[in-house]
Amino acid sequence: MSKKVFNHPAPLAGEATGPSYWRSLDERNKTPEFRTRAEREFIDGAATISSLERREFLLLMGASFGLAGLGLAGCREPRNHTLPYSKQPENTIPGVATYYASSFPGELANQALIVETHQHRPTKVEGNPSHKSNGSASSKFAQASVLDLYDPERAQSSQGANGAVLTVAAVRDLLRQLSATAKANGGEGLAFLARPSSSPTRARVVAAVKAVLPKARFVEYTPVSQQRADAVLGARALPDFAKARRVLSLDADFLGSGDGSVEATRAYSSARRADTATEADQMTRLYVVESTFTLTGAAADHRLRAATSHLSGLALLFAAEVFAQTGKGSEAASLRAKVAGLKVDSEWVKECVTDLVKAQGKALIVAGDHLSADAHRAVAIANAALGAAVSYVKVAAPAVGTIADLVTKPAATLIILGGNPGYDAPADVAFAQAVKAAKQVVRLGYHGSAFDETSALVKAAQGTFIAASHYLESWSDGRTVNGTYVPVQPMIEPLFPTLTELDVLAPFAGLTQEPFALVRATFNGLAPDTSDHAFAAWLAEGVLADSQYNTVADSLFAVPANNFKAPELSAKSLEVRIVPSVHAGDGLYANNGWLAEAPDPLSKTAWENVILISPALAKELNVEPEVTFMTSVAGALNRNINQLVDGRLIAKIATLTVGGVTVKGPLFIMPGMADYTVGLQLGFGRTVAGRVATRVAERLQGKVVGNGFSAYPFVTAAEPAARTGVSLALTGESAPIANMQDHWSMEGRDVVREGNADDLKHNENFAKLGIDGHAPAVYGKDENLSAADKARLTPRGNSAYEHPNHGVAPNVAVWKGHEDKFPLLQQWGMSIDLNTCTGCNACVTACQAENNIPVVGRDQVLKGRNMQWIRLDRYFFDGRAQAGSEIPHDPQVTFMGIACQHCETAPCETVCPANATVHDDQGLNTMAYNRCIGTRYCANNCPYKVRRFNFLDYNKRSDGHYYEGPLGPAKLPKDPADLPQMQKNPDVSVRMRGVMEKCTYCVQRIQEAKIQAKVRAKDSAGINVVDGAIQVACQQACPAEAIEFGDITDPQSRVSKAKASTRSYGALTYLNTRPRTTYQAKLRNLNPRMPGAILIPLSRKEMAGREAHAPAHGAAPHGDSSHAQPAAPSHGHSK
Amino acid sequence: MRKLLEFFTGPAQSGNFFRRSMNALPFQVLVCLGATAAVVVAGINEYATNKYLNVGYTPDQPVAFDHSFHAGPDSVLGLDCRYCHNYVEKSGHSNVPSTNTCWNCHSQVKPDSPALALIRRSVETGDAVRWVKVHKVPDYVYFNHAVHVNRGISCVECHGRIDQQVVVGQQKSLNMLFCLECHRNPEQFIRPVDKVTDLAWKAPTPEAQVAQGTKFVHDWKVNPPQSCSGCHR
Repeated sequence: MSKKVFNHPAPLAGEATGPSYWRSLDERNKTPEFRTRAEREFIDGAATISSLERREFLLLMGASFGLAGLGLAGCREPRNHTLPYSKQPENTIPGVATYYASSFPGELANQALIVETHQHRPTKVEGNPSHKSNGSASSKFAQASVLDLYDPERAQSSQGANGAVLTVAAVRDLLRQLSATAKANGGEGLAFLARPSSSPTRARVVAAVKAVLPKARFVEYTPVSQQRADAVLGARALPDFAKARRVLSLDADFLGSGDGSVEATRAYSSARRADTATEADQMTRLYVVESTFTLTGAAADHRLRAATSHLSGLALLFAAEVFAQTGKGSEAASLRAKVAGLKVDSEWVKECVTDLVKAQGKALIVAGDHLSADAHRAVAIANAALGAAVSYVKVAAPAVGTIADLVTKPAATLIILGGNPGYDAPADVAFAQAVKAAKQVVRLGYHGSAFDETSALVKAAQGTFIAASHYLESWSDGRTVNGTYVPVQPMIEPLFPTLTELDVLAPFAGLTQEPFALVRATFNGLAPDTSDHAFAAWLAEGVLADSQYNTVADSLFAVPANNFKAPELSAKSLEVRIVPSVHAGDGLYANNGWLAEAPDPLSKTAWENVILISPALAKELNVEPEVTFMTSVAGALNRNINQLVDGRLIAKIATLTVGGVTVKGPLFIMPGMADYTVGLQLGFGRTVAGRVATRVAERLQGKVVGNGFSAYPFVTAAEPAARTGVSLALTGESAPIANMQDHWSMEGRDVVREGNADDLKHNENFAKLGIDGHAPAVYGKDENLSAADKARLTPRGNSAYEHPNHGVAPNVAVWKGHEDKFPLLQQWGMSIDLNTCTGCNACVTACQAENNIPVVGRDQVLKGRNMQWIRLDRYFFDGRAQAGSEIPHDPQVTFMGIACQHCETAPCETVCPANATVHDDQGLNTMAYNRCIGTRYCANNCPYKVRRFNFLDYNKRSDGHYYEGPLGPAKLPKDPADLPQMQKNPDVSVRMRGVMEKCTYCVQRIQEAKIQAKVRAKDSAGINVVDGAIQVACQQACPAEAIEFGDITDPQSRVSKAKASTRSYGALTYLNTRPRTTYQAKLRNLNPRMPGAILIPLSRKEMAGREAHAPAHGAAPHGDSSHAQPAAPSHGHSK
Repeated sequence: MRKLLEFFTGPAQSGNFFRRSMNALPFQVLVCLGATAAVVVAGINEYATNKYLNVGYTPDQPVAFDHSFHAGPDSVLGLDCRYCHNYVEKSGHSNVPSTNTCWNCHSQVKPDSPALALIRRSVETGDAVRWVKVHKVPDYVYFNHAVHVNRGISCVECHGRIDQQVVVGQQKSLNMLFCLECHRNPEQFIRPVDKVTDLAWKAPTPEAQVAQGTKFVHDWKVNPPQSCSGCHR
């Protein structure tokens, strides 16, 4: 009997030439390199040992086997010890995690957190649900912050001017001395430089310092300010995205960056959720005008590309249109006059504003903080005219003075609190001179002179270095976005003799209190009830009730004053837009491996930054790679866009020059960029930095070469976010970039479903179209079973293989004959809502933190060996271009997080020769690491490509020493405590080399919930886990609340309800994999009156073309010709 | 040998040159191989498993704590297990008691005994007593005490009669088969929840145990996990 061969349905002609989803330009153009790559499981070199030839390897192996025999150490287990406490601390139960409230300090706002500690060792942070506006969600930066605590390169001691180690007492003496001197002359010549902070205690102490030392200066500096609009308006605008139903964003990446992005995403997503016709009517609509591609732009329903330097003018134009349409003609005319000559798609502006005006009271315009003062005023008055869903609150005035003042009028005593101005000061501020000119410099920093530019500067200037505490070791406080007063409390004694900002500042204010007492005093000033009980309650809950900012009236904003002159942009005179990177922020998180390795959601680049250019610019400057002859279906010539060589993205190197300053970096052609805008990301190109921020190969030779390039040469005090008049030139060089774009491609199958909001009214079935409409999971005679029974019984249908059956009595003899009494086990499943997902990466980082996923390093990423369990696929979608023609300029974007789908009939399980991956009785596809022998058959057979293999000992060895095996150093140098090990989650196995791993549905959390239920049940039958008791790590972190997890046999559970939605579908279900993870189709809230509106999601048209009888509604989109093609015959499926 | 030489060097012969007795050779080879394999397997099974290597592991402890004196109803003091291992019902780990637990009594009872020197030092300095771990499952096994003791599985099932031991040693193999034996037949081991720390408790007869155990399994909906994920994460 021969085995039936199943052929995947081949792409049709219509598919190849018509619009299609694609994840990279290579995929889209179907270059031979991409095809080779897609057909292979691992990219070239991923499965080989690069530095050792096979013979050498065998030689070494032989030697190590020989050595192994000498010790005979393996016969008995080593003697292990148990070290109980001498005096048991209260409320500490060994083996049970304890959770404390705290917050993640930000410059604008803190994020309320709950910190998980294991025997007082913080391992994971979660959002604090007591703070309603963020719930359990948190940002990727907050998630990753716990790794910084255990950074082996953090400063472990303070150092005096002569390089001698200073004790904490010596540092305190020095500070007392300095403050006494300062007090004598009223603070003359004394200056502090710090990052902005939301902490009321710091503000209070700074005010006290100013009172005691009136002549001292306190300067705040951050390279990416979030408070410029506050300064212009005299108040802070707090947009209410939950209430707004029409949002216009002007270069404001409110979903992707900034301290308030978690709250904004949560609010926005809550207004975006729709499963019924009524909800579809109330769904929010997002218009975005922006220059670079941001997450907010990716979420947009209608997106207009415009240069950043024109956007300040556009804001005025939008305001003018709002006035014109609300019957204030004269204001409109005066605003229009100010922006005469600005070229823009006026129909777009008009229709967009018409829609906003129609939603009076529920419309909202937000502007990027980097826009001009006039732009902020224009947006404020336009919002007032719209009755927008925005409130204004009074916040403390920002500190006076700028970092430039410290150079023009140097201080005799300079005290640098945190930050890294030696690296991130504006290019036209020679900060090094301020350090050199000072007689005495004191630097509070997290990294010492070997790993931090500022600390190195201070050392060169014979200054004093004070090692700083991590926020998880410190007492402080802060305010969240809405002003709620939150604590920062220490989870652990400082690991090293370190001090906090408050420790350093307090002596200058004549305060002798410790930070705890300072915070307590601030609390007494802010809270209505100042009792110890109230204070303890605040610490326990993590929020102070009713402590939000007070709102102010919003009618007093000034009108724009100046005329706007739009700079002419061309390929010769470009504009750069400088944004913080998703990896390192502005450089603050540069030594964090989780962030470095989490790919940029849009460019999918890890470990470095790139120069983003638009396809139009690439064409105009002729920086596109040479034309290569290849046979596309259309027979056209294609461009090998990114020069994929052996699966590695080879980028051309270019220089950018403005005003004699040059920056050099790899080019990356990004669809969706404004034509003459070049995107740069901050935080890279460090010159003195730790192991994560620098390249491995050079570091092993004793040199420091930062990853990526620094964009700070382009940052000036006046223009920190965008520059114009930039020229671009190719150097002729090229280099590989660590891009995860093509990794584990799914070859363009219909994994993403989309619909318009209207489809919820007319086309109930839109998510079930495509091949799954014809070849759903094969249930055979059991088609009509309930969803719960299908999950429990996993009927075999027509399959020849045995399926797991969780609906019969367990393998316990005593249940035989009593099956009716058998407690049917709960069956776990997940649903991910593509509609609310914004692609923020919080889930990727949360998963890495929860599940002890190793960081592999840039070189390994280049080999395609990244280990994150969640792959956040980014699909570009463009209706107007034909494959083989120009690179599209205005793609639509869909994000889809893919982790193990926990297929009920899992293809990986049937091929494992070791039975290491098998099903459990609650539907989990489990990995028994101790059984895995590393054949990688399972990864080959996984249609979703979600399995990750530990090619090397990523957890045991450090980057750069992977290939030395046991001969290499096991730990990092100067790492007495083996710090990174302290972060590991004790409830999850740390995997070794040669083991396959993948998403486990956070099995440790499931088991914990089950155990807790049983512990409570004792000798009763109530062992079911209630809905919501299990929150998997990605679900908990998700700011969009896009992920539901729970029991799919309970029709009342949240996940069952999500799966019952009309939008619910499974990916690749025609393979009869029956995934337990399903998706909810993305909805686009289309305004058909907008120019360029795509009336039918093209994915569905594509499916309609493939399957002749699938319904298609509505008119054809603009400029699309694929609908003219004849319908293809149906193929590849049978019933 | 001479014959063989003749065979190679001599003139070609006709007919069968093997002796009749050679017919038994393949059978003999098979039997020998089988016997060897059986001995090897039996040897590994006996000597290379937990049962041989770990059962009976009775290391000396830094402080000669005598369980048979302190713990159990038949002992001199009659302490319950949970007096010292006080978190066993709440945590996956059954905690080894902190020094202050010892000192609760010993600050009054024999505080100057030389046998308690290390305890005294721990109380004074705050340093831990370095107890030697006796029962250890591999790192990839996540055994949870709380769920067992709260659901009628006695300490005695894995640890044996600790209350009769002067120096604690490992009495059960604690290998996976050992775990599964109970997970497959819980009715043979489960007992009333209030008898969990009564190590001497036994159902009157094995039949009574099964009858009572079956009732408990049915009433409490006991379904011990037998999937990998139950213990391996």
